[in-house]
This record gives sequence, C-alpha cells and structure tokens, in this order.
Amino acid sequence: MPAARAPRIPVEERLFSLVLALLATDTGLTKSEVLSTVQGYRQKYSSAGDNAALERQFERDKDDIRELGVPLETVDDPAASGNNQLLRYRIPRGSYELPLDISFSPEETALLTLAAMVWREGTLSGESRRALLKLRSLGGTATVPELEYAPRIRSRDAAFEPLRTALDRGVVVRFDYLKPGEARPRRREVAPFALVQHQGRWMVPAIEPDTGSRKNFLLSRIVGPVTVTGRSFPRPADATADSALAGLEELRRSNTALVRVVEASDAETRLSKRRGTESRGADVLAVHYSDASILAEELSSFGPEVTVLEPVSLRELVVQRLRRLVADHDDDAARPVGSSTETWARS
Amino acid sequence: MSDRRPALQATDKLAFLLALVPWLIDHERVSVAEAAEHFAVGTAEIRRAVELIAVSGIPGETSQYQHGDLFDIAWDDFEQNDVIVLTNLVAIDESPRFSSREAAALIAGLQYLSSLPDHADRAAVASLTAKLSRGASSEPSQVAVAESESDEALAVVGRAVEAGVQLEFDYAGVRGRAERRRVDPLRVESLDADWYLRAWDHVREGLRTFRVDRMSRPALTDAPITHRASDLSLPDTLFEGSPDDVVVTIEIDDAAAALLDDWSPTDVERADEGRTRLSLRVSHHGTVARLVAGLPGRACVVAPPEARRAVAEWARRAAAEYDAEGTAAG
Repeated sequence: MPAARAPRIPVEERLFSLVLALLATDTGLTKSEVLSTVQGYRQKYSSAGDNAALERQFERDKDDIRELGVPLETVDDPAASGNNQLLRYRIPRGSYELPLDISFSPEETALLTLAAMVWREGTLSGESRRALLKLRSLGGTATVPELEYAPRIRSRDAAFEPLRTALDRGVVVRFDYLKPGEARPRRREVAPFALVQHQGRWMVPAIEPDTGSRKNFLLSRIVGPVTVTGRSFPRPADATADSALAGLEELRRSNTALVRVVEASDAETRLSKRRGTESRGADVLAVHYSDASILAEELSSFGPEVTVLEPVSLRELVVQRLRRLVADHDDDAARPVGSSTETWARS
Repeated sequence: MSDRRPALQATDKLAFLLALVPWLIDHERVSVAEAAEHFAVGTAEIRRAVELIAVSGIPGETSQYQHGDLFDIAWDDFEQNDVIVLTNLVAIDESPRFSSREAAALIAGLQYLSSLPDHADRAAVASLTAKLSRGASSEPSQVAVAESESDEALAVVGRAVEAGVQLEFDYAGVRGRAERRRVDPLRVESLDADWYLRAWDHVREGLRTFRVDRMSRPALTDAPITHRASDLSLPDTLFEGSPDDVVVTIEIDDAAAALLDDWSPTDVERADEGRTRLSLRVSHHGTVARLVAGLPGRACVVAPPEARRAVAEWARRAAAEYDAEGTAAG
C-alpha cells in the first residue's frame, strides 16, 4: 500500500501526483485539500499544526508545473471572494491536452526535430528538448535525411535569460547600455516586447514606458547585469517579434554603403552574396546594412580587400578601426630583422 | 540528438512522465527497449518511470489512494518479459500541450530553417507555426530569428547529395586567391547567420570546413562520392586544429570574449580593467588579423611578435588605401 511507504517521496512523484489530482477534479481542490490528501504532501501534513513550510512547497511546485506549460488555474469562490483559503486549484483538461486534431506527419516531425536542434546550445535547449519529448509522446518518429544538417543558433549573451523572463512576465527592465562612439554606458529603463535575432545578432526591441517610443537594443552592447523590475507593462498588440524584424529589415534596405572590392577576393564573393547587394560598376558594390558600427566591424575584417567609398561616416569608422589596429600592434622598435615574411608564405 | 545529458531535474522527469503515459496508452503493449529507443533514453530510465507511474494516481473518493485510483501495469509482463502494459488508467488520456516557450523555440527554429533548400517551404512553415500556436497552452513568447540568407550554393550541395556525386566550387580562402575545390559533401552546419559545409576535400585529401558564402560557381561533377558522413567521424568542433597551426594570444573586452568560444580558447585569464586574455590556434597569421579586425571592442594580439607584426602590416596596407585617396584626416 502506498500509504505505508516510507515518508520520503521523490520530488517528481509529488509533482506527478499533484498534476494527476488537479486534472481529475472538475470543481478544483482547496490548498488544504491538496496538502492533506495528495501524495508527497499528505505525509508531511499536520492536521492540527502549522503547515507554513508545506504551503511554501506547494507555491514552488505550482510555479514549476506552470513552467512546463501545464495550465494550473485558480478558481475564486464567488461567495467568499478574496479568501485565500477557499481558492480552488485545478488543471482544466481542455487547456491541458493537445487538441486531438493536431498531429504531425513524419516529414513535419523531421522538420520540427531539426528546428528544436537549432537550440541545442544555450538557454533554449531545455525547452526545445521538452518540446521534442511532447512530439515523441504523440508517436511521431523523424526520418533521417541523407545529408546531415546541424544548424545552430546561439544565445550566449548574459542578458538573454533575464530579458526572456521579463518578456514572459511583461515587466520593465533596467540595464546599462554602451552605444558605440559613446565613452560611458547609459542606464536604460525599458519594457522589452520581443527577442529577435537579425543578421546573427540578438536584439531586444523595447518600449520606453514614459515616452512610448520603441527602440532596438543589441544584447552584446548591454553592459553588466539586467535588472528585472516588478513594474508591469503589458505588450501592445502591434508590438511583436515579427513587426520588430520587419522594421529591422526595412532599416537594412534603406541604408546603402558603396564599397570597392578587390576582384575575385573573399570580400567580393561574400559581400556579393549578402541579400540585396548590387553591383555598381566593375569593382564597386552597394551593400545594405542596419547598423553602421557592425558593418564597420565586418568590413574591417576584410582588410585591404575592401575600401569604403560612402557614406563618409562609415568610411571614417573603418579608417579609425584600421588605424587603431595599426597603433595597437605596432612595435617597430622591437622588430627582429627579417623573420616575419615566412608566416605569410606558408600555406 | 545526443543521449549524454546532465542529471535530469525533477521538472524534466515530470515532463517525461506526462509524455510517456499517453504514448504507452497508444501502444497498449510495448517493450522497454522500444520505449527507450523511441524516447532516446536509457532502458533504466524507462523502467524507473514505469515503476513510478504504476504506483501513482489520485487521492480518490476516500482520499486514500485506493487500488482503483492508481495506475496499474501487468507486473508479470514487466518483471519477466520487460514489456509494458498499462492495465488501469487514471486522469491522463492525451499528450500535453506545448508551453509558450517551447512553442516559441520551435517556431523560431522553423523560421530560421526556412532558407534551407530541401527543408521548409514557406507554406509548410506557416502551417506548422499555426499548429504549434494552437497546440500551446498560452500564446507563444515573442522570440523570432530572421530567415538566414539563402545561398544558391546550398541548393547545389543538396543536389550533389541527392545524386551521390562530388561537388566542385571556387573557394577564396583567407589568402584571397580562389581555387577550384572538389569535395564529397558530408554535413551542412550553421552558427547563427553563417553556414558551413563539412566535406571530404579531394584536393587536400582530408576533412575540411568551408564557409558556404565563400563558395562560388558551384557545380555537380560526374564522379561518384567516395566518402560518407557515416564512414567518417566528424569532429564536433567546426574549427579544428592542424599540426601547422600557430598559437596566438589575444586580449579582448570581457563582454566580447564569448565570441571566441568557437575557437576553443585556452589559457583564459583576466587581464586588467575588464579585459580577458586568451590563447587560440589559427591556421596562419592572416587569419588572426581578420579575426581581431572584425571583433567588437578593442581586440588586440599580444603574442607572438610575428603575429603582432602581421596584423600591423595587414592593417597598415588596408589603411593605406584610404590615405592614397586623400581621405579626411582621421
């Protein structure tokens, strides 16, 4: 008999029992009913005494269960509204179960498996693993493609996780942000409404609560920790990840730089392949960009293969980078005679 | 996906139980081994889960977890034949919905994949996105990844694989001179917006990683491939070392140090004032010049002196292009 077992119940057994109990009830269970009857709680329940520790346990368990996407509801007793002891808890079957008409073909399962694999590194890996578990629960098996694909998106920025928490809670965050060209980071207080990756970089589109203006912040330029505040700021309906991406794409299209490239160089091949790049004459390309500093970094990495023609501001950014690079690496005084060319010739 | 994982948290175990029960219901009679294979876990994990399910249930009318309030299994089949048969069911019938974060992760992953040639046409992605949104217990979180640039070369790689033939393309290495390469394509990988082809290089006679956006004039050949991914062990890291590598030491802003993780840096240590110092292996000094020039913050090679000189020389040549044109004084 289960009741006769040792009182030490594993956490997953308590959580599983809680889900089963709350799924099985239509009217819901009060907190004291949960604590006194459900496996894992009842062993520690004292009918006469203080159950404060057990109540805190129940609060944490509810959070953990909701984290998995289980719709754990509270039902207020209309006759005694606001009385915490009479709140009832339940998991409505209709919002818990995957609708019966949702199924996935083997091709779809394969595609979703690949989509989940994209996150195998970083903070979304736990969630995509659980999503795969649910797909497998449905019975789907994926066909293995002949060519292996191993796509990967990274979410390494330290700011990613706190921002996602703020996003889920719909609250304002505070962080220090270093704009390129500014000497010091500036404190920002904004309500994030999405997290998007554009051209390989994570950004947080956010609203300034006081002015209502919308701005995109690069996660890599956030300096120090992100503070998640308790100030709630509901997301306006039109503030979506897709609208933010569309805005960034629009910005990218409207910014054009003219660059000269060395013929048949790596720079020519790669810049020509960027979306929207047009040829303007024998060795001149028009490339689009959304952020001048990022483009300056990219163009600098091509070194002598690229010369920026316009805009002048971008040209200056690249020249500055290159000159600083020379200055940072110039130790002529210490140069031993004639030993450096070999490294270049070796292949 | 890999089976090697860190120890599961209680919530992961709960998620597993909630996924396993409906599958067992659908499969009436299934061996432990089959279940383990389907869920890509060990047989011990399946057995532990089944043992737990078999003694779990609801408090029931008596609040005493009476026999009929619990799941039950055919114990003899389980203990003697390693076969799972649920004989009494409680509370659960169907698979759970996706959480908003799970749905968001899959949807964002799908968007990202839509540029892959033989995957995900837009219609398939749209219909899957709709299904996932409908199958989530609350609205999917606002996380999105822009569709990565589609590259004609990727489509050609796909056709070469389908036909089982070698692939040819011009490849401008970092030294700037394009060469015709002939390869057996093995695996397509990506890191954020960058796509790579892992392949057997017939010219170099070895495994090589190619940036797809560096490939031009890709074409199929008549020669059948001689190497398959299943015959070779592809290292996990994209950028592998070779005996010719040189080790360089770089100093970089702390915030940007993570950008070098793919280079498997060693000797990572704190330098002064928010700076990190680390060592990594590069194929030659030209590579490191490009690397530090493209990093945000003030990345700098500190050793060896030959590498520093190579960077200075390279940057000086690049800057000279601007001097020659009489740019505004910087």
